[in-house]
Amino acid sequence: MAAKVSQSEILGWVVEVFQKEFDFGGDELQLDTHLIDDLDLDSIDAIDMAVRLEERTSVTFSDEDLKNLRTIRDVVDLIDGRL
Amino acid sequence: MDASSDSASGKAQPTSWSRIGERGSLLGIRFTAWCYRMLGRRGCLPLVYAIVTYFFLTDGKGRRASRAYLRRVDATPEGHRAIGHTPGFLDSYRHYCAFALAIVDRLAIWFGALDDFEFEMHGSENIDQYTEAGRGALILGAHLGSFDVLRRLAQRSGIVVNVVMFTANAERINTIFREISPETETRVIAVDPTSVHSVFAIRERLRRGEHVAILGDRIEVGDRDRSIPTPLLGGTVELPQAPFLLAGLLGCPVVLVIALRSGPWGYRVFTELMAERVVLPRRERETAVAALLTTYARRLEHYCKVAPYQWFNFFDYWGDAASTSQPGCPGDGGRPADRTVSS
Repeated sequence: MAAKVSQSEILGWVVEVFQKEFDFGGDELQLDTHLIDDLDLDSIDAIDMAVRLEERTSVTFSDEDLKNLRTIRDVVDLIDGRL
Repeated sequence: MDASSDSASGKAQPTSWSRIGERGSLLGIRFTAWCYRMLGRRGCLPLVYAIVTYFFLTDGKGRRASRAYLRRVDATPEGHRAIGHTPGFLDSYRHYCAFALAIVDRLAIWFGALDDFEFEMHGSENIDQYTEAGRGALILGAHLGSFDVLRRLAQRSGIVVNVVMFTANAERINTIFREISPETETRVIAVDPTSVHSVFAIRERLRRGEHVAILGDRIEVGDRDRSIPTPLLGGTVELPQAPFLLAGLLGCPVVLVIALRSGPWGYRVFTELMAERVVLPRRERETAVAALLTTYARRLEHYCKVAPYQWFNFFDYWGDAASTSQPGCPGDGGRPADRTVSS
């Protein structure tokens, strides 16, 4: 049985995707960082994020999932719940 | 008319094709399909001309749109040479007849007469290279000539092409095609360009090495707040960002394909590589897409001048008749108050 992935490990993946694909600095990316208010993501960015994270984690996001995401913590929790 | 008045509503194409519901084309396709089944191509043609004449005489908006378009083409030196004179009433009728012939060809192909046509291929290596490498490409087309020819040619050559369509019309068109040719698998993907589900569905097909075809010259309902004013034939039109956004998200090449009717049983198929890979820097995404759309529009303009009567957008494409944006039309979309990333 595969070992449970920790939340901090998932956060690391998310941060890596945001840094690599969206050019954000590491200190901008905290658990409570708001995707729109702080990072100024729009709906295309959200789809981009979903595609990149799916490639990284194999977790598929639905449209409903994306509608409910507000912070990086939400993204981490969603991936954590699906792994 | 200058560019500023063309885009007076902010987002053009106010008499949107999706509002019209492709009145002529869907009703006409169904009726001509019945005629074709009963009478064959030769017997069907006089009836098709009669139907077209009826639509031409009763469709004032379509006539005006045709005339406005032809005048734009005529205003260019190459377009004027192609038309040969200042376009008038009869030229609009000829424009309508060209649409009817395109429908009849489409039916002929759907009824299994593909091999009766001759296709003159130009630049097909631009798509073959990806087919041979098992790499999916985004094939960009327009309501210019016959996009359906491409799909059937691809099927004959063993290439899989999925056609992306706006949901409501996709279902109606699929229904008609199923009636005409029940044994033919129609690979039409009904999408919402702002849906991650659609993006995943398209990615899945590209990963299998299949191609995905999309018409890029009309704003769909889902594109309302994702269009960019783009110069075309002396005016400005709103073109959807969706094809290039998709290509950017999925990292696939973009190939332009235009199939123009050259005679009763002939087509010239032009294939051009538009982008080996679409790169959309997040901060300059709109600028990058605008540049690609400008290139796309230039190529459309070129082919409009080559075959002026094969542009099949019979609505107020440049927004010449519009003064204000109407509810439910492209351009009235706004960002909802709920601040989630996929609103």
